[in-house]
Amino acid sequence: MASGSGGEDVWIPSVCGMCPDQCGILVHRVDGVVTKIEGNPRSPLGRGRLCARGLAGIQLLYDPHRLNQPLRRGNPEKGIGVDPRWQPISWDEALEAIVERLKQVRAEDPHRLLLCGTPASPAPLAFALGVFMPAFDSPNGFVCDERPNAGVEHMLARSLHGSISMYPDPDFCEYLLLFGADCTSGATAEKMADARVRGMRGVAVEPFLSPAAEKADEWLPIRPGSEGALACALLNLLLNEYRLFDAEYVRRHTDGPYLVRPDGAHARDTASGKPLVWDAAAGHARPFDEDGGDVAIEGTYVVDGEECRSVFELLREAVRRWTPEAAAEATTIHAQTIRGVAREFGEAARIGSTVTIEGRELPLRPAAAVCGPGAYGHDNGRPTALAIALLNEVVGAGDVPGGLLGSGAVSLGRPQTGLPRWVPCADSDGLLQSEPTPENRTDDWPAFDGRFAFDPRPKVLIDCGSNLLMGAAGPERVATLKECFVISVSLYSDETAEALADIVLPDASYLERLDPPQQSSPAGRGDWACQVRQPAVPPLRQRRHFSEVLLEIGQRLGIADAVNARTNIFYGLRLPHTLDPEQRCSWEEMVDRICQGGFGPEHGLAWFRENGVLTWPKRLEEVYWKPFDAARVPLRYEWLAGWQPCRAGRPQIGFDLQAVSYPVPWHASQTCENPWLDEVSQSEPYSYFICLNPRTAAAKGIADGDPIWVESTAGRRVRGRARLTEGVHPEVVAIGGNGGHWARGMPVARGQGAFFNALLTFDLEQPGPTPLAIDGDARVRVYKE
Amino acid sequence: MRQGMVIDLKRCIGCFACQIACKAEHGTRPGTVWARVIKREYGTFPEVRRVSLPLLCMHCRKAPCVEVCPTGATHKRADGIVTIDADKCVGCRYCVMVCPFGSRHYQDADHTYFRGREPDPYEARAYAQHPTGVVEKCDFCVERVDRGLDPACVVNCPTRARTFGDLHDRESEVSRLIDERGAFRLHEELETCPSVFYLPP
Amino acid sequence: MPSADALRRHLTDLNLTYRPQREWVEGRGLLVVAAHFFSGVGAGAWLFSVALDFDAGLVISAAIVAGLAAPAHLAFLGRRQRFWRAALRPRNSWISRGVWGLAIFLAGAIPYALPAVRDSAFGPVALGVSLAGMTVVLAYKGFVYVASRAIPFWHQPLLPVLYIAYGLRGGAAALLVAGAVAGDVFDIGLLEVIKLWVVVSSAVLVLLYLALARRAGGAGRRSASELVAGKVSPAFYAGTILCGLVIPIVLGALGAATGASRGLLAAVGLSSLVGDFYIKYCIVKAAVYLPIVEDLPAPRRYGTRRAAAGL
Repeated sequence: MASGSGGEDVWIPSVCGMCPDQCGILVHRVDGVVTKIEGNPRSPLGRGRLCARGLAGIQLLYDPHRLNQPLRRGNPEKGIGVDPRWQPISWDEALEAIVERLKQVRAEDPHRLLLCGTPASPAPLAFALGVFMPAFDSPNGFVCDERPNAGVEHMLARSLHGSISMYPDPDFCEYLLLFGADCTSGATAEKMADARVRGMRGVAVEPFLSPAAEKADEWLPIRPGSEGALACALLNLLLNEYRLFDAEYVRRHTDGPYLVRPDGAHARDTASGKPLVWDAAAGHARPFDEDGGDVAIEGTYVVDGEECRSVFELLREAVRRWTPEAAAEATTIHAQTIRGVAREFGEAARIGSTVTIEGRELPLRPAAAVCGPGAYGHDNGRPTALAIALLNEVVGAGDVPGGLLGSGAVSLGRPQTGLPRWVPCADSDGLLQSEPTPENRTDDWPAFDGRFAFDPRPKVLIDCGSNLLMGAAGPERVATLKECFVISVSLYSDETAEALADIVLPDASYLERLDPPQQSSPAGRGDWACQVRQPAVPPLRQRRHFSEVLLEIGQRLGIADAVNARTNIFYGLRLPHTLDPEQRCSWEEMVDRICQGGFGPEHGLAWFRENGVLTWPKRLEEVYWKPFDAARVPLRYEWLAGWQPCRAGRPQIGFDLQAVSYPVPWHASQTCENPWLDEVSQSEPYSYFICLNPRTAAAKGIADGDPIWVESTAGRRVRGRARLTEGVHPEVVAIGGNGGHWARGMPVARGQGAFFNALLTFDLEQPGPTPLAIDGDARVRVYKE
Repeated sequence: MRQGMVIDLKRCIGCFACQIACKAEHGTRPGTVWARVIKREYGTFPEVRRVSLPLLCMHCRKAPCVEVCPTGATHKRADGIVTIDADKCVGCRYCVMVCPFGSRHYQDADHTYFRGREPDPYEARAYAQHPTGVVEKCDFCVERVDRGLDPACVVNCPTRARTFGDLHDRESEVSRLIDERGAFRLHEELETCPSVFYLPP
Repeated sequence: MPSADALRRHLTDLNLTYRPQREWVEGRGLLVVAAHFFSGVGAGAWLFSVALDFDAGLVISAAIVAGLAAPAHLAFLGRRQRFWRAALRPRNSWISRGVWGLAIFLAGAIPYALPAVRDSAFGPVALGVSLAGMTVVLAYKGFVYVASRAIPFWHQPLLPVLYIAYGLRGGAAALLVAGAVAGDVFDIGLLEVIKLWVVVSSAVLVLLYLALARRAGGAGRRSASELVAGKVSPAFYAGTILCGLVIPIVLGALGAATGASRGLLAAVGLSSLVGDFYIKYCIVKAAVYLPIVEDLPAPRRYGTRRAAAGL
């Protein structure tokens, strides 16, 4: 819309905050009113284009149901469906009440403070978890990721790629094998479209024909939770039957050649303690890091009188039981299909081929297997994700052109400064260190000692917009939190606030706040970006940015000096930008220091306000680090032995179906309250419905559109309307994520879609095969209302 | 010159960004979606495919809406863009009824997105451009086009699935895409001659 | 679009394979059906009033058109204060032609209905004008619907014939009712015979129409099945068939055999009028659009012959 004449008409560069991708945006403000949000063409994230969510941010800004002032719970009773009887209070009153509680907790046991946040707001979350919580001396901060077992993805990305996440190479991939993953949308959407046009073949393995699977050339419907069996069978075929694997890669870039003793420990050199490999030319074992010889990756060898086998040999052994027939039994995918996929994948990897990029010749392995939330979101998620990740490793497609890349594994810094810098490091065994050591961190980070120190009875819980009652916690946890003082920092009076909160603080949306710069980049070649989020309008009414609020809380608590110290550490500030303990800075001044600390005085906050994004080109070694770094990835064959079907995958009398959820591309957390996005879901046939296969539905007398109940074995049930579609496995019920809100404070979202997470069991007493892994699907039965 | 659009169904991911980009550019009312996406499923389990099909006004060369409009409010420009003059429209909805693509929209009530509430500052500005009681539709962002810009849905599409340009210009991107990849239009049998072409998925 | 639920339903409709036509039948859309009903009845009644020399009928017909049909048309418009603009495109739009037809009819009928004008030298002119307008009014509605090529249920040459036939029978029915009230001012027996004949013909037409609709492909079949077995079937069977055809035929045959009382004829007329309304309602309500796309069409190059082919 064009503006009137004579008034204000500006475009403000900022960063979208609707999902973790954080694309660059330009916000059009005319006479003080935000009239449009567009992508920022100068930002590598989005390149001037935004998804439905990013464009819909305006509705979030002006939603009349937004919280506009602090509230106190008037009703002493807590629980789902209870009316909180909110009493509006002043910020002063709210902060006094909060600080009083925090003082008590700090005096008794600071570990009793729990804080959780949402990945859609990584910058404020980082400040809360990385600065405030350590300053308070509580380690109990966590990210409430609504995808079960998201930690598995990060864990594998760390140990196999040295990064937080993994993504197929959009520039060179030619064969994409997706296990419950979406590689069509997000910051690389355009490049993945290019890939499809140039002929990249996609195979999507998932129980529901999701929006992501739509773009695949072949949809392989699978029994949920059995993806690991399929991956192991593919490994078995590649390693044992077809012998399609990259021996050289295994030899040089993995711990495949490392010899393992019968007791499972590495065979080590007596002098140096280093793991041993077998030199076939020399006829004896030697430390892994010596050059020359002919290192074997297969076979059994005698070392110090013991029969040792290589890790690679043990991996081959571990998958041998997964014949295509066994996998067909577990997955309901035909054995012939499994054979076909293995051969396709192995051949598509073009083992031994190279490509010349920017004048340098690198290995080319244009096949990638991706493990997404649909596959790792089960209680067998860790071995499943490993098996899938190993598909890349065995064909040599890890962090090389065409294969699976660790996003942001390497940063060599801006050309001018060489900072920030982090590179994959090898430990003393030559293996990729799970925790990279960026040069700008100190040893102040607490070391992980293998124990989870978790007090299940927190005294104070701060929910930073995560609405954890609909995500991690699950409604049955309400009882355990009833004695806890809960502070909700949120855009709306959401389910968590209404059921549990004692104090609610009105958060500033991403369009109303200033956040420190974050470095990121879409996967593959391109540019790095550092972007600063700045407010398009000052926070409306009495909303306040929670980072600023934490600063004030820190001051009132008397821990401001610790906050300053943590800020220096977390943001890597060096002189002259460091904060002295007694210094009291505004949030804006802090952000300015962080900008200057990272990018020099010429790129302080003022520069970022004007320009929005600082970019520099990614170097080849930052995109494809394997050929340039000696660190080896651990194959972890021992995790595969424990693979079994997920709990929900096991049949039970009377409960014949498995309920799964899937991500809806135009939604993220809480977006059902956004009326433009709600309208999209109303425009689309599946996301607000419960999807059933027509044959399954017919057997139960269910017609399209019928109101139905989905009930779990634990007796929890969810109501919705049936949608019959051929695009769902007959044993499966598919429910779009993010739906089913019931909060009175979210009237647009209320009643839309179905609340899938109600069906899940968050049962710490009965862990699955992997500790702390939960099953992201449920065994259910379905019947008409 | 004939303005036209090519939508590449291989690139399109059915993300609905075009629906929102159009809504954000024009500030249309609740329920009015000038740009929309339908999903079509083919086959039976397990051989199933689903296609997302973005729709908008086809700006047909032989537009039935132009033929039936009794007031002349619906008008086809020289460059092929079909526009509606809101000052001439009487709201008879003949054109709505006759459009094979469902591209024309009519509202006679002042709905807002937050039911029962006053329009928010954004809506108050936006709905001033959308009087009730008259028909409206996608106009290929004619105000942008006249300033040399592409339509909002084209500029924003995250996968660059949409291209806009002169169909009569052999060298234009739209002509090149149609020629190289082969394209189809909807309802060829109705002989309305749409200006929107689809590349196969 | 009177309600927020209607908005949601509209969004759902847009994704259906067979999108129903709602704009001209639901909510305020009912006014269009009513307007078409009244204008058909009024024009038909005018014809028979003229033919049978029924002066009161002239007034009744003109009143129906001026007082019921025209206001219903106006009330349906979004911007009724500009209604005159709808007359501006008679060259291409059937609605413009219809507006002219209504205007011309009223320009002739209202004066002619006044005895003073009727008996004057101006009378034949008024009559001629009114008949010209009446012809347009009877015929145009069917053509309005036929223009929708994307609704196969309407896009049939038989539709205007159906509308004309129903206009005639509606007019006759109205006069049967009027006649029962007014007494022996015209040969009601003749009218009864005409009526019976028209009713039988329209029964045949309806059946023929449905049969042809089924041949028009999936959307046509879908509409026909909505009528005979789907959501519209109660209205169709109770209104169109029972009230509109069965009762008039049965009563009419009874009357022809045993001698018709005025009360019986009035009952025939009323029942027939109900059916008249319902056939229009059902035809409009059962309409569905051609699916946007069935199987994806095969791509073509639209190559070098593009410009010549007038792409």
